[in-house]
Amino acid sequence: MKPGTALRSVTDFLAGRFPVDKLDFHSMVEKKEVPLHKMSWGYYTGGLTLFFFLVQVVTGLLLLFYYQPTVSDAHASVEYITQHVACGALIRNMHAWSSSCMIFFVIVHLLVTFAMKAFEKPREITWIAGVMLLFLTFTFGFTGYLLPWNQIAVNATKVGLQSVEYAGAYLPGTLSELPRILRETFQGEASVGQSTLGRFYALHVVILPLCFVAVLGLHLLQVQLHGMSQGIDTPSPTSERFFPIFFSKDLEVWSVAFLILFVLALCLPFESFLPFPLLEPYDPLGATPAGIKPEWYFYFVYYPLELLPFWVIMLGSAVVAAGLFLTPWIFKGTSRKTLAFIAVAATLYLVVMTLFGEQIYHLVKG
Amino acid sequence: MIDAFLLIGLPYVAIAVCIFGTIYRLRAEKFTQSALSSQFLESNQLVWGSLPWHIGIGLIILAHLLALIFPGTWSGLMQNRTILYTTEGVGIALAVLAVAGLVVLIIRRITSARIQAVTSVMDLVILTLLLVQVGLGLATAAIYRWGAMWATAAATPYVWSLLTFQPDASYVSGLPLVIRGHIIGAWLIILLIPFSRLIHMFALPLDYLFRPPQKVVWINPRHQESAVELVEREAARRYFLKGAVGVAAGGTLLTVGAADKVFRFFFGPRLSEREEAKLMAIRVKRLEKTVEHKKYELERQQNDYIFVAKLSELEPRKGRYFIDYAMKPALAFKDTDGMPLLISAKCTHLGCTVGADCNAEGKILCPCHVSYFDIHTGKPNPDSPAKAPLPHIGWVLMDQDGKLVASKHADGSLTGRADPEKADTYSVFIAKYHERVEES
Amino acid sequence: MSRESTLLVRANGIRIMLRLALVWPVLTGCALWTTAATAYPEFQQFTEKNSSRTTNCAMCHINPNGPVGEGDGQVGRLTDKELERLNKARSALEPGQDVDSPILNEFGNHIIKEIGKSKFLELRKDPGKLVEALGDKSDLDGDGIPDSREYAAGTDPLNKFHGDPWLLFVNNLKRELVHVALAIVATTALVFGLANFIRGLHVLTDRKPGSD
Repeated sequence: MKPGTALRSVTDFLAGRFPVDKLDFHSMVEKKEVPLHKMSWGYYTGGLTLFFFLVQVVTGLLLLFYYQPTVSDAHASVEYITQHVACGALIRNMHAWSSSCMIFFVIVHLLVTFAMKAFEKPREITWIAGVMLLFLTFTFGFTGYLLPWNQIAVNATKVGLQSVEYAGAYLPGTLSELPRILRETFQGEASVGQSTLGRFYALHVVILPLCFVAVLGLHLLQVQLHGMSQGIDTPSPTSERFFPIFFSKDLEVWSVAFLILFVLALCLPFESFLPFPLLEPYDPLGATPAGIKPEWYFYFVYYPLELLPFWVIMLGSAVVAAGLFLTPWIFKGTSRKTLAFIAVAATLYLVVMTLFGEQIYHLVKG
Repeated sequence: MIDAFLLIGLPYVAIAVCIFGTIYRLRAEKFTQSALSSQFLESNQLVWGSLPWHIGIGLIILAHLLALIFPGTWSGLMQNRTILYTTEGVGIALAVLAVAGLVVLIIRRITSARIQAVTSVMDLVILTLLLVQVGLGLATAAIYRWGAMWATAAATPYVWSLLTFQPDASYVSGLPLVIRGHIIGAWLIILLIPFSRLIHMFALPLDYLFRPPQKVVWINPRHQESAVELVEREAARRYFLKGAVGVAAGGTLLTVGAADKVFRFFFGPRLSEREEAKLMAIRVKRLEKTVEHKKYELERQQNDYIFVAKLSELEPRKGRYFIDYAMKPALAFKDTDGMPLLISAKCTHLGCTVGADCNAEGKILCPCHVSYFDIHTGKPNPDSPAKAPLPHIGWVLMDQDGKLVASKHADGSLTGRADPEKADTYSVFIAKYHERVEES
Repeated sequence: MSRESTLLVRANGIRIMLRLALVWPVLTGCALWTTAATAYPEFQQFTEKNSSRTTNCAMCHINPNGPVGEGDGQVGRLTDKELERLNKARSALEPGQDVDSPILNEFGNHIIKEIGKSKFLELRKDPGKLVEALGDKSDLDGDGIPDSREYAAGTDPLNKFHGDPWLLFVNNLKRELVHVALAIVATTALVFGLANFIRGLHVLTDRKPGSD
């Protein structure tokens, strides 16, 4: 292809995906419609994810006032927040619950938009930005989990980072050292310690939020420019106006979500699901308590990791990740029925592995 | 004397006149039971005057009546600080709203020519009286806090004493002038009800709250174009009103519920001395632990050799704990040949520290999940949850002058030779770098 | 028996008893002293099996690894004064005594105070019975779940944020019901208000197709 043609195809692509002539009040606000059909509930999932992210930002900012990111003070500062600061327990619990809710809804949003074929042309960039947001969200969860610096936090992070090192067995010669070097680069030192806490804190509080907001801006801009996708095969004849009808309904959904989150955070401490030895401050010279495992949203990859050879997981993850990014092109010609089937299969896998992963592990390992 | 007249005589006269006057007027001049609305003459200012006035004064009078009729419940509620502050706050806000509305109504009545044509002297008297009354009420709330609390002890028993024909003005005669003025003003207003348009109070249009909005359909083509706009404007106004009520109610609750907590969050917990001391003790303990850990690390960074024990102190069946160069726990035993035997004490299962005592078979036990390790081979029992063996650790022997006598690598290769007669003088160290010791 | 011999027997009896009275605390002290500070893992084993939750010695002791060792809250690191407290606590065989053992936390001290050391040692054979022995009245962390139930369920009796999740939820909900109700009212009012505001804005700004 001649360089001129190649360049023109790139600019054509971008022009199609960024119709900036539609950046006016009339197209973006007045004319914005939301199709009404049986999958219309799917249009709320993105908003809910955004809502939980906003809750995270606010509660996170409040926690920032009192949290101290040093190995000698981190646990004590979190204890101080929960026991002495006015509403500290509520804010901390809200942050914990909302993180799980955000991750839950980001996965639901992924599956729903996949099944509704919302990644179809011209919404490819929306989809790619969305997948980046998915990975950023999981990274938020991973980095944030370390911050309380209790037994479960540090040991679960160690277990997670150790899995990177298993790849070393498959690399020849001196290259097999590479994963260990990579892991120690993530950690900042030979074993998880102050360097790790410092950089995970910087990531969780500044770097990831900045990246997230930037990518989210792109994602939302794309949604505004292209409007809501049609969602089902034959475009629905009825639709409702985004502003004010859908927007009010969205607010109602957000308020219900907020109330459920509030009641959960007020009445059900997140820590009560963990055995209490795991909540003690991390002791580098002491024993590792039993029952260390990552947070629930990593179970779908953690238990297979324990059951299957590492190369299977590595290959599977690489395929899934590539597949996620290239979905708009891989599934360009796929019917919504097939997409729905794939989404349901994926959901089943995620639900079964998350809820019953531990039992399956014990069943297999005997 | 004046007190007796104003606080006992006047009320009875006012109530009597109000009751009998109203009954007479309702029977004799039925159609004067009207607010004499001037909406058709001037409607723009009326909305900004009448609505705030009526909303404000209606709710305030309701609150006054509740405190009067249910003093027990009311004062019980007011014991709660939050409820008290909210009630007073909302009351003051409503009073300001009422005053604002009243001022607009007064201005309207004295500036609009059309309205002046239908204004009577009594209207002006009533307006002034109402303004003064609300002003006095606001002054009471501002100067003599907290009215919502003390009213049930002063005004309520006073009014009930009047209504039960056992008048006792002593409840209120000692109160400041402003408050007495407010009470007297109330009686004056009641007195004037049958002589003014205030009689419209007894025709409470409660069903106005629930009737559907009325649409005026203009047949006149001149008005038809603006009719649509008018409908939209009024629909919008209804939405804004509902919106304002919802946001105000929700916002007030939210503020009341969250305000002091938000403030206390940023103000910071102010703990008692005992709690501060307890927290400080915990913090010191944690810091000491970190310092201890760092001291060990520093020692291992600075020194090429770390002292484990004197050779004579080691025993074959009871290990001594020490911390190796990797900051992990380890055990030192005396081997069968009299030389040291150093083995890691970090269980290969989940990292618990293995126990120091050998059982009869020469195995040490990790108590967490019951794994037995042979100290000579390091291998765990086949039924142990631990699968990997405990690694051995290399050591060096030094005599009392610090000269290296013998050293053993982790892989088991021994260099140097220890003189069994001098065994008492030897000390066991672990070394950062393993050197071969030349036999002397 | 003659009166004289009765008196003699009684006098001898008293002498023997006096001797025993002097000797027995010494004997007991020796017995207790020579008993190494043993932890009682039977209780931990019971609670782990009963609840399928992992626990450690920190439920009753200060140090999560138990009382043996040289760490914080372990026997090897006690000062003389603390050793005195320890021995006093160890000899609290009967319930009701003020116990302040330096190796036990508040819950551990509470157990010894409530049932006494002898009963506690008896219960080693059937650790499940400690639940009844402790009763339902005490709730040291104030989370609404009695300490004896927290022991049986393997949750931390000194942490009000730790307990059986469902029980905690129900207890906290009962306690905070007013706040929850007010939050629901406030949120509903706000959303109602905002929705109406938006509609009002919409009515005012809506441009009819074909107009303008």
